[in-house]
Amino acid sequence: MVFQMPIALLKFPNDLLREVFRLCNPFDLYKISKCSKKCSQRSITLGGAKNWKITYSGGNVITIWVDGSNYNFNQADYPEDYFQMTIGRYSNYMDIEFPNGGGVDLFFYLLDTLGIRIVKSLEITFGTIANVAKVAKVLADRKMEVEHFVIGNVEEVQDVVDFMPTLSQMNITQEFHCFLNFPPDFHFEFVKYPRKVVITDSSWFTIDQLFECTCVRIELEKSTFNNHDLDAFLQKWKKAGTFPNLRRLQILSDFIDDESPIQEMIPPIQTFNNPRIRVSIDGHDGIVDGVRVTKDDGTVGWLKVEFGVWPELNFLIVDPTDTVVEEIHDDVDDETDDEW
Amino acid sequence: MSSTEQGTSSAAPAEPTTAPESAAAPEVPESFYYVHGKDKVVHKVSAGALQHSALIHGMISNLGYTEEQAKANPFPFENIDGDILQMVVDWCNQHKGKPTPPEDTNLPKQKEKLFDLVLAVNYLEIKELLTYCCKQVAMMVKGKSPEEIREIWMIPTDAEDEAAEKEAKKRAGKEAAGETAAAAGDAK
Repeated sequence: MVFQMPIALLKFPNDLLREVFRLCNPFDLYKISKCSKKCSQRSITLGGAKNWKITYSGGNVITIWVDGSNYNFNQADYPEDYFQMTIGRYSNYMDIEFPNGGGVDLFFYLLDTLGIRIVKSLEITFGTIANVAKVAKVLADRKMEVEHFVIGNVEEVQDVVDFMPTLSQMNITQEFHCFLNFPPDFHFEFVKYPRKVVITDSSWFTIDQLFECTCVRIELEKSTFNNHDLDAFLQKWKKAGTFPNLRRLQILSDFIDDESPIQEMIPPIQTFNNPRIRVSIDGHDGIVDGVRVTKDDGTVGWLKVEFGVWPELNFLIVDPTDTVVEEIHDDVDDETDDEW
Repeated sequence: MSSTEQGTSSAAPAEPTTAPESAAAPEVPESFYYVHGKDKVVHKVSAGALQHSALIHGMISNLGYTEEQAKANPFPFENIDGDILQMVVDWCNQHKGKPTPPEDTNLPKQKEKLFDLVLAVNYLEIKELLTYCCKQVAMMVKGKSPEEIREIWMIPTDAEDEAAEKEAKKRAGKEAAGETAAAAGDAK
């Protein structure tokens, strides 16, 4: 039963309607769009583009990010649960009826109805490759920005292999994170690199790809790079104008050994100064006991190659605006810090 | 407008009162203007309060009216109901020369007037009050189901929209047919 005094919203001039819609959250706008087709159309037309972002993992939840809060649209099993909401300080949930096309249809309904222009994250998780692939194809066609794309360690490896050509057409801007173990004959070329790539089984990522990589940050685990590859990379890096974006490189490879030199140094490569030197970016992601390497144009990098649990190369490129070089005492843990 | 005149409404405008003198600096005498709505009741409002309205501010900024001229030429807002204009004037007075707080407790409370108030505020271009009013309109549907929203905001269902569209088409067809018949009659 509604006790509110009614107000004829659709008789408002468009600029007022736009202002009212601007003040609504994603749950409000979704419900308004469900009032009637006309209402849905007007909310699309007048809602305008927003800085809201959307996240989808191919399942039964779609999340809209609004500043610091998130609004989760969950699939409800029973009609009596439709539009039931749980409102929290930051996380909010609403049960809704998913359309016949499931999460994929809802994803595009929300994208269009709420005027969303950026996908915060798209993730392939167990059993979701088909849905994510459908969404990714349309996003690639629309040339829409996807900030983060994650491939989980799913069982449907061949489906992911088949999907990869679509991935190469996508506009992934911030991060590509891959946990999947691809088959030995797998090959993939990035057309455009995001700011960051993290590949936990990177045996397919070749040294030529590393040479062409435009990322700010590269993390490769289970790499096949050997000392010679890494030396070649550093030789190239030293030339002026190469790798203009790169700030951080981390490579874990069983093929790094203590038999051949990298930059004329036999690994492990590190300093034994007292006090020890820690170099970090804005205080994070530091390298302790690194060796200074200088580029032809004077840019400084800090290199460390060590044999811990895995042989590992760490390289950090200095930018005077954010790089912190500090002396540390012996009792400080020398592991790399949080990501920046 | 001085505090004693807040909400003053009369067919004949009240005489302006003198603003309290400051010991620190001589105060520039405040200028006043007069507005009336559909009901012709004249409201005396200070230029400071009227600054909230971009429309009125634009109108008065180059006038250079004397007190007498202003009194003789109240701004007519025939499209705004008197009680709505009163609410707007009250709000402008309460917020004269002050930054508006994020949560404004001086908002007009009468929900039944909200629709007319929003239209008036939009017309008078009072940006802050408009945002508050629109926020209040948006708040009306918080936590409501689409059925309830439809009721609160008087949104027709798809079936009602379709029926209205059919009716409009039918009427338009009839009118066109009538015009054709009239034109044929004229020709004869």
